[in-house]
Amino acid sequence: MIIGLILLVVLVFIVGWVFMVYNSLIQLSVRVKNAWSQIDVQLKRRHDLIPNLVETVKGYMNYEKDTLERVIKARTQAIDASSIKDKAQAENFLTQTLRSLFAVVERYPDLKANQTMLKLQDELTSTENKIAFSRQYYNDEVMRFNTRIQVAPDNIVAKMFKFSTQDFFEIEDKAERQSPQVKF
Amino acid sequence: MPFSFIEIEQKKSRLILFVFLFLIFFYFLTVWLLLLIVRNFFFASAFGNEFIFTFPPLSHTLIALAVAFLIGLLHWSVSTSNLIDKISASIDASPVDPKDNYHQYLKNIVDEVSIAIGGRHIEPYVIPTSALNAYSLVDFQDNAVIGVTEGLLARLNRSQIEAVVGHEAGHIVSGDSFNATVICSLSEIYKETVSRLGQGTREFRLRGKGGVLILLIFIVLTIMNFLNQLLNTFISRQREYRADAVSVRLTRNPLALAEALRLISQKWHGSGINGENIESIFIVSPNVRSIEEQEGLAADLFATHPPIDKRVNILLDMAHLDEKTLDENIKNMIRVSPIAKAEFKEGVSSDKKRWFVFKQDEWQGPFLLDELRVLKGFSPTDWIKIEGQDSVFEAFNDDEVNKVFGATIEDKEDSYPCPHCHTNLNELNYEGVPILKCDFCAGSFVDYSGISRIFIREDKEFSQEIVDLASSVYKTKLRYNSFSKPGTSDDWILDCPKCRKKMHRQFFVYSYPVEIDRCPSCSGIWFDKQELEVLQYLYQNKDKFLLQDKNSV
Ligand SMILES: [Zn+2]
Ligand SMILES: [Zn+2]
Repeated sequence: MIIGLILLVVLVFIVGWVFMVYNSLIQLSVRVKNAWSQIDVQLKRRHDLIPNLVETVKGYMNYEKDTLERVIKARTQAIDASSIKDKAQAENFLTQTLRSLFAVVERYPDLKANQTMLKLQDELTSTENKIAFSRQYYNDEVMRFNTRIQVAPDNIVAKMFKFSTQDFFEIEDKAERQSPQVKF
Repeated sequence: MPFSFIEIEQKKSRLILFVFLFLIFFYFLTVWLLLLIVRNFFFASAFGNEFIFTFPPLSHTLIALAVAFLIGLLHWSVSTSNLIDKISASIDASPVDPKDNYHQYLKNIVDEVSIAIGGRHIEPYVIPTSALNAYSLVDFQDNAVIGVTEGLLARLNRSQIEAVVGHEAGHIVSGDSFNATVICSLSEIYKETVSRLGQGTREFRLRGKGGVLILLIFIVLTIMNFLNQLLNTFISRQREYRADAVSVRLTRNPLALAEALRLISQKWHGSGINGENIESIFIVSPNVRSIEEQEGLAADLFATHPPIDKRVNILLDMAHLDEKTLDENIKNMIRVSPIAKAEFKEGVSSDKKRWFVFKQDEWQGPFLLDELRVLKGFSPTDWIKIEGQDSVFEAFNDDEVNKVFGATIEDKEDSYPCPHCHTNLNELNYEGVPILKCDFCAGSFVDYSGISRIFIREDKEFSQEIVDLASSVYKTKLRYNSFSKPGTSDDWILDCPKCRKKMHRQFFVYSYPVEIDRCPSCSGIWFDKQELEVLQYLYQNKDKFLLQDKNSV
């Protein structure tokens, strides 16, 4: 009788604990999802800006058709990519082609002074900053989530409910800012 | 993020409760003290009894508690509605102007940082002062605001501003801004009550017992104010380090924040900000007190911010740099103006465009737009062509040229006629500020809010002509008149382009004898040709001029 009671208490305790862990894991995974949708918004913004950019540049560049076509192709690839890994790769490629396009623009003073071009360039820079910041936030959230579901004892609950680690949104960029050691 | 959302919510509600109890406690103390005074001084003498000091009974004390609770609740509800508006108004801050280049630049930075903290919407605000400072607020409806001064926008570079905004975002995510906002609003009310009561005492000249009563209330309120300040302080000091840490986490750039803090501390960070008792919302205390830069218990108790040097050193440690490098970095700092691209190139490219006009059976020109304006006999049906292009068309088909004919436009609603020429003024940006400019007489109309912004920003490179003009205006102290203005000082001749009412001719300020026309209803100013530049140059170089004066004496 007493043993049964103790078992019951232990059982209630375990179920309560599992429920709590499960809840907080769900909360974390929702945060990861929200963080991802933030990146998505910014990526879309960039995709929307590119047709305008191409339209503006077209008139000025007669000999650099290749560069323009590469940008258009990279954009299509980026839009079509579905998994996070593919997306990261496609966006990397798009960033590179955009950079080479802007390098070419430097050679056309008239185009550089064009009002629409200046505006577009400003917006693209700002969007790229926003992509970088949203990616940083997303990766921070993924890191938290992944650590939680891999460390004992929470990993037991994670396995029970089939939580799996999320992919980071990685961009290979040498100019990437290094995260410094923050200690207070 | 180092903060868990639930943790913050708990901390937030605990602090709200604490402040609320604090409020009730002090109202209780006030009421109870009053009770004590009334009991012992008024009743005792009214009945002519022998003076015995007695405490109020428990029932009275309970009533006092109930009264205090009611007053506290009222105070709380009044001071927590429209918090952002109230505090922003008290420091003269306003939301960004969508037409101002500098303000859009700030908006972009704030948007980027708000994404870095997870996409929470933050409204950017600006304080029109040359001081360097920044603040953040969060109200009960969870609206968040980050404000910076015009001086900060004009003097720091992008990554430094980003670091400062990151610091403020740190206060927002950690819940500090919310606490500070609530406490600030409470202290605003104390200030108001104390000053009103002071006025009351003076006005009614209460004597005798009434006077004693008022005096005692006054003392209680002053003590409350002091304790309120203490509370303010107690909340504020440690959190600055934490917010600095969040900024570094977001921007990955400890050096930029160190640079920004050093620059802010070198300049006077308070001028023009009415920040008494609300210091804790700012990145650096707007009040210059020596205690801010000290350490130890007293300083920790009374100062709202930790010493800047200590903060800078912590940041330098993170960046693995020393102070010498920091100073050198600041000396060689590169600042790209947010308007350098947009504004100055525009002038060049639009000036280049010229037109040929077909007159007396031949092509004449090419003419600039301003030349077309004064071209004799030029009419909308004349054939024109743009220089470098072959197509020929009638003048009214060209939008730019067609504007030349819009001579009388006063009747149109959305147009702004030049007070001299009566042609439509063009909307353009000067120092990033939207102004109205006349192509023909080169005069310009600046809104009231735009004037201080123009004087704070230093992107304009002045021509030798303006420099000479300004020096001679300063030296001779003579009335400068660039345009042969009809009428003299104190006249009401020109019409305000916006209100269509007469403007008042007066000196801009007495020390700079440049006459301008000020609209009495919108406070906008009409500057004739070169007047705005001359005034801007005089203002921005006032120290240099003063130094010249000293040397020549
Ligand atoms: Zn004019
Ligand atoms: Zn007016």
